[in-house]
Amino acid sequence: MIDVMLKGLPFLWQGLLVTLQASAIVVVLALVAGVILGVGLSYGSHWIAWPIRLFSDFVRGLPLLVLIFSIFYMLPLTGWKVSNFWSAIAALALFETAHVSEVARGALQSIHPGQNEAGKAIGLTFGQRMLYVVFPQALRRFLPPWINTVVDTVKGSSLLALVGIVDLMLSIQQVIGRTFKPMPLYVLGALMYFAINYTLSQISRRLEARFAYVRE
Amino acid sequence: MPYHLNFNLVWKYFDRLSWGLVLSLELAAVGIAIGIVIGLGLAVLSHGAGRAVRTAVAAYVEFIRNVPLLLLVYLVFYGIPSVGGFAYDATTSFVMTLAVYAGAYLVEVFRAGLDAIPKGLIDAGRAIGLTPAQLVLHVRLPTMIRIVLPSLGNAFISLFKDTSLATVLAVPELTYGANWIYTNTFRIVEVYAVVAPMYLVTGYLLLLGLRLLERRFAIRRR
Amino acid sequence: MSGNDAVPLVRVRGLTKSFGSNQVLKGIDLDVVKGQVVSVIGASGSGKTTLLRCVNLLETYDGGSIQVDGVEVGYDDANGRRRPRGERELAHIRADIGMVFQLFNLFPHLTARDNVVLGLRKVRRMDRAAARELAEQWLVRVGLGDKLDSLPIELSGGQQQRVGIARAVAMNPKVLLLDEITSALDPELVGEVLTVVRELADDGMTMILVTHEMSFARDVSSRVVFMDAGRVAVEGPPREVFGAQTHERLRTFLARIELKRL
Repeated sequence: MIDVMLKGLPFLWQGLLVTLQASAIVVVLALVAGVILGVGLSYGSHWIAWPIRLFSDFVRGLPLLVLIFSIFYMLPLTGWKVSNFWSAIAALALFETAHVSEVARGALQSIHPGQNEAGKAIGLTFGQRMLYVVFPQALRRFLPPWINTVVDTVKGSSLLALVGIVDLMLSIQQVIGRTFKPMPLYVLGALMYFAINYTLSQISRRLEARFAYVRE
Repeated sequence: MPYHLNFNLVWKYFDRLSWGLVLSLELAAVGIAIGIVIGLGLAVLSHGAGRAVRTAVAAYVEFIRNVPLLLLVYLVFYGIPSVGGFAYDATTSFVMTLAVYAGAYLVEVFRAGLDAIPKGLIDAGRAIGLTPAQLVLHVRLPTMIRIVLPSLGNAFISLFKDTSLATVLAVPELTYGANWIYTNTFRIVEVYAVVAPMYLVTGYLLLLGLRLLERRFAIRRR
Repeated sequence: MSGNDAVPLVRVRGLTKSFGSNQVLKGIDLDVVKGQVVSVIGASGSGKTTLLRCVNLLETYDGGSIQVDGVEVGYDDANGRRRPRGERELAHIRADIGMVFQLFNLFPHLTARDNVVLGLRKVRRMDRAAARELAEQWLVRVGLGDKLDSLPIELSGGQQQRVGIARAVAMNPKVLLLDEITSALDPELVGEVLTVVRELADDGMTMILVTHEMSFARDVSSRVVFMDAGRVAVEGPPREVFGAQTHERLRTFLARIELKRL
């Protein structure tokens, strides 16, 4: 068992790097886009909030796998020359953006509207109110659930293997294809995923506990 | 690149999609049923049990929640038979994996539900002389079911979407049907233009059904 | 009742406002001259808070006009066309109008000093040292010199409201709007806040006060306005409005307030 694991380790490690790279890109994209959409949902007029709501419900209502397959196979048809890696990432990024926008919306709407009014009353512009009044308060309600979306992104990245991206999941399959010994590699792969995600969830839990005491 | 929409090929094979959808729902239903047994059992077990039991349950929950479902599906189907464990067909294997996956999430749901039972109800039951067993049967369980109903419903809808992973084991659910049609006709836009709404509408109907159930049964927190 | 020939600082004409099908303001006319303190009293639902919130456009208004220092608050009337003001313009206008809220609305993540400094730095563009100094001066003035570094959660209701007043007044507004600022306070804390408001009035701050504190309104106001069902029902100097009354609904209203006091 162990020797198979050790032999497979270098390949799995390469796959892990791809997983981390893909996840990191998606997390950053989803964070920026998700927060912007979340602001639009919470503070935007009807014409801004409604399309965002539609997009979010549509994307979250589909299985991630369906999203990945459809975007991955449809993108080439548009004539747009995008690499496999980026087509696959696009789908995952779309999915996570929708989730992050929900988290952001929840955090923003938990802030008492009086805060926004007080900011208006002293003459702050919308951007200033967001930056100095709302975001600092929303942050503590945003962070723990957002970290959970990061965990979901890492787990979701395993589906990229099904469109040929050589991430951790696919490298596991590849090594099994050569050694014909599935179990050691699945266990090793599981441990690697576990190490990353467990660490992240623990951080989220600690943050949630800490913030719980600062509730006004 | 010009692409001419031709839905006929999709309608020709539509039964793969419709039966696929039915299978997806069945997989989710069986998965959550077993998952509820696992989750409820473990929640009751760890409620007031020793450190060893609670740690074991926590280890199971943490492991399942932090490892991708895809890996678990492969591990159960390919990995376990290879070390001399049980070997089942793809569908059974997938459902078992789904149940174990659901169970891990549901342990938390049931644990929270058990804790949320108002103490007053327990006291009232004791006061009229119910035995511990009767308390469980007539007070704790019915109350807890009403409290966790929304979470259970959402878990089911989530699980329904997760059944798409059964594709990798060639289980003929909805996503597999979609891929089959694509592989044989290359009508990617048409097939997903049909399949995506199927997932969305089903999900929405399930949500409506859940709301109806909630209105009748769930306990509202004030 | 402006016996002055001075141009009013705040000029409201024919103000109307509806929430859905409910018309809350049915044509309000009001003048506030610089240095005046106008109290607006009335039952809940009379529209007094809505009127106040329209002045700094926390609520939009449907018809009529509100001018502060000659500038129409909600609309730009250049080129003869009425265009609702954008957020940037509104921010600019609101900088010169101060508001103190019933629920204080202090920024909980900032100290008392920083609550006051925020507007000074970001809106008045003061440098850090000058902003700090001005903030501290005002906080001392409202009696909170020893609470500069305290967070709102560490302050009593009365203290928080005094920070709220300092925050509004430090911006040097042309007019100060006070929205039932003592309604959410425990009775023993009301006095300290009213003292501060009285001092501001004595120093010449132009104020529009929505309040339930009748004795305070009587002592401090230049004029009192009684609103009923979306209209100005009675208006005049305090001794007139609170004195022998012929207006039916005002009498009922005042009687009810007195009963509550007992």
